[in-house]
Amino acid sequence: MTNPYLPNIAVIKKIISENEVNDIKTFELVFEDPEIAKNFKYRPGQFAEVSFFGAGECPIGIASSPMDEGFLQFTIKKIGVVTTALHNCKEGDKIGIRGPYGNGWPIEAMEGRNIVIVGGGFAFTTLRSLAKYILHERNRERFKELTIIYGARDPGELLYKQDLEMWGKRSDLNTVLTIDKEVAGWKGKVGYVPTILKESAPSSKDAVAAICGPPVMIKFSIPVLTELGFPADKILLSLEMRMKCGIGKCGRCNIGSKFVCKDGPVFTQKELQEMPKEH
Amino acid sequence: MKAKIMDKNELQDFVDELTKDYKVFAPVKMNRIFRLKEISKGKEACLGYQNTRQPPKEIFFPQTEILFTYKMDKEGVELEDIPLPNEKRVLFGIRPCDARALVFLDRFFSSGDYKDISYLEKREKTTIIGLACNSPLSTCFCTSLGGSPFGKEGMDLLLEDINEKYLIEILSEQGAKLVEHIPWLKDAENADFERAKKISEEAESTIKLKIAVEGLRKKFDSMFDAPLWDQIYQKCIGCGVCTYLCPTCWCFDILDEGTPTCGRRVRIWDTCQFPLFTLEASGLNPRPSGKERMRQRVMHKFNYFPKDFGELVCVGCGRCVQACPVNLDIREIIKAIMNT
Amino acid sequence: MRNIENIEDSIREVARKLLNEKKVELVIGYEKGTLPLRTAPCFIDNPDDVDKLAWNASCDANLSKYLIGVDKRIGIIAKGCDARSIIVCITEKQIDREKVVIIGIPCAGVVDRKKIEAEVDGEEILEARVTGEKIMVKGKNFEKTLPKKNFLCDSCLTCRHRNPPICDIMVGNKVPEITSAEGFAEVSYLEAKSADDRWAYFTKELGNCIRCYACRNVCPLCYCKECFVDKTLPLWFGKTNDLSDTMIYHIVRVLHVAGRCVDCGACSRVCPMEIDLRALTKKTEKIVKERFNYEAGISLKEVPPLGTFKLEDAQEFVIE
Repeated sequence: MTNPYLPNIAVIKKIISENEVNDIKTFELVFEDPEIAKNFKYRPGQFAEVSFFGAGECPIGIASSPMDEGFLQFTIKKIGVVTTALHNCKEGDKIGIRGPYGNGWPIEAMEGRNIVIVGGGFAFTTLRSLAKYILHERNRERFKELTIIYGARDPGELLYKQDLEMWGKRSDLNTVLTIDKEVAGWKGKVGYVPTILKESAPSSKDAVAAICGPPVMIKFSIPVLTELGFPADKILLSLEMRMKCGIGKCGRCNIGSKFVCKDGPVFTQKELQEMPKEH
Repeated sequence: MKAKIMDKNELQDFVDELTKDYKVFAPVKMNRIFRLKEISKGKEACLGYQNTRQPPKEIFFPQTEILFTYKMDKEGVELEDIPLPNEKRVLFGIRPCDARALVFLDRFFSSGDYKDISYLEKREKTTIIGLACNSPLSTCFCTSLGGSPFGKEGMDLLLEDINEKYLIEILSEQGAKLVEHIPWLKDAENADFERAKKISEEAESTIKLKIAVEGLRKKFDSMFDAPLWDQIYQKCIGCGVCTYLCPTCWCFDILDEGTPTCGRRVRIWDTCQFPLFTLEASGLNPRPSGKERMRQRVMHKFNYFPKDFGELVCVGCGRCVQACPVNLDIREIIKAIMNT
Repeated sequence: MRNIENIEDSIREVARKLLNEKKVELVIGYEKGTLPLRTAPCFIDNPDDVDKLAWNASCDANLSKYLIGVDKRIGIIAKGCDARSIIVCITEKQIDREKVVIIGIPCAGVVDRKKIEAEVDGEEILEARVTGEKIMVKGKNFEKTLPKKNFLCDSCLTCRHRNPPICDIMVGNKVPEITSAEGFAEVSYLEAKSADDRWAYFTKELGNCIRCYACRNVCPLCYCKECFVDKTLPLWFGKTNDLSDTMIYHIVRVLHVAGRCVDCGACSRVCPMEIDLRALTKKTEKIVKERFNYEAGISLKEVPPLGTFKLEDAQEFVIE
């Protein structure tokens, strides 16, 4: 039996700034031990516990897709002790990774269906992992239509600008980007995500919606999806919050009889309705 | 059922024998309370107690436990795992409710894809010798929850006080092996068993509180928004006493302590009663007041967890009832819920 | 002899009147506990419920904790020590004087149930009754009558303010104050020991701490929204039960309440590991009395000494 709390060492290979104020960065990492790297198999939607030794550990959604070989990406916002320490890292620095944990987006349930991805702000990370997975040439034909609705406060806050640009040029998906308020030079939509979602009105026939964003965005988007005809068990949400050990032992993420880190972080709206309203 | 017998005045010798081959943890009197401590001599152990202030979980899942240590320099990071205990241990003289709680903890720490090896290794290396309760306290309610004063769950041996002697019931192979090494123990006779049975029945009859468990679980299903919680939580001061003294509470926090060059990652007891437990990075707290936190504690023990485990995760030891600074009595909460 | 029943009836009357006349929205008092020798805090917002309120020798809790951060007009039962902590919190602007009705009860001391439990060798007490100056306790195999004066809380034995210094309504007659000299005998006893002995004592006591923070949470003066213990940026010290971290927690907490602590004894009383926390709080109380001739919570006009500076403050520690 191995110590489940012992992380593996990874080296930071690249740091990409995702926004102008530079408080969101994507870290590209490679495990020090090639065996670990080889055996680290994950699904979109899973997360890992990222450590900066001395500062602590925190759960971060994996932003790269499993189809990306040779590296892992995490997009981290500078908020507290651990994320600040990570933001102060340079390329070449070594940090700890434990994982992958969580259930991830239910790929099997999404195959053969239309997918609607709805994301807001910084929470887009694991949705990007899902989108990249679906769009990969080896996977694309297993899924039907793909619609991505992604919004942020302003153009600077949209993550993965390179990916967004490439997606905009593809014909096998429909990308709708939106920002909260009008900004000069912006060619996309203007409006909050729930409003744009309503406007776009993606069909709910044979469709699954995957949604991740700030609580207020989710609160107003769920009724829109429901009105569009998405049944509660076809609306998927990722609750990426208040996890500590990541393996269902410390009790912090316990809601009702579930652990967000073990039974989630992806839940259907139906499952959430059956859980106590503490999320 | 096999059992040995020994005279009460042989108890010290019995424990002395244990200390020869095992690391022994036993109840020890410290000021006015009893705690489980490592002992080296039989006379340090004290069985004249009601229950230890701290439950036995502190022996396997201590308040502070190092998960690993780290060293960092220009070359890189070196992590050192904590060596697992390799000595044989005996946990002596714990009550049946506490032994039953350990069974819950075992299930929890070994469930799922990841095993908590530190806890499990200590448990595996420990032989549990329990002490049956001849006089349950007025705050005990183990019988409603699947336990009993002479309960045998979770133990390798059970000492039963039958006045001038102790009946030592052998409940597992590990227990049998242990008594093999103490050849002067005599075999128990029918009369001893009869005596024990009588005392056991008397002890059980003294436990007054009876909870209709099935009914309780069903009631809880619809209790999340009940106005009852608004009244119950008012006096709670949000400390950690009930959860820290609870034998079946196991929540913990993980922190790093150290400098950029060396340090350690530790886990410490945490409690759903602290406001910081559910505080999210965004500033949102899903359990902002004592009401939500008290509700969580009660529902977790009596409703949520049983959904997975099949049993209520409370052993009726009564420690929270006795130790709560504001006399918040879980028995009253249960009664109030049964009456809604 | 003060008639306990009369005080209990009077408390209920006062509460009923205050609620009926809508002078307060809530009355906080004591109710009978679920175990012998215990009472519990009781929150009454309906005049029909006032009969829940009780008054007896086990009304030990300091209820003033429940006033902090609550924006309501509240009537609160307060013994001498409780009223003093309310006064400290008022001067520190944590309680609005206009919104609290202090129902003061002169108190000659509350019973220390742990002392009684020790007296009966830890046997469970199934029934207890305090009548006048006698405590009757009954267990499975014993029945004893004990003199109440030998089983009062330690904080009551040195209490110099048994009558609430300030209150809006006084229930019951004033009780004579203790005027005998040495109120710090416990502190002097420890001070007389060698440094090694004192270190050994505190190591033994604080080594039992499980960092449950009952002492902090029950103290009315520990009202910080973010306690120094919970701060992570910067991290002042560790949260484990390593002795050095535990000692620092207690020492710093005691320093934070120094000059404000009224020795209500709640911290020691609620500690599940029965740590002698008053040894530390009482020491700071002694220092404050000697250096600043100050006792906390007597006057609404005074500021705690560590919250202000007077030119005549002794400063012999300053090296010229």
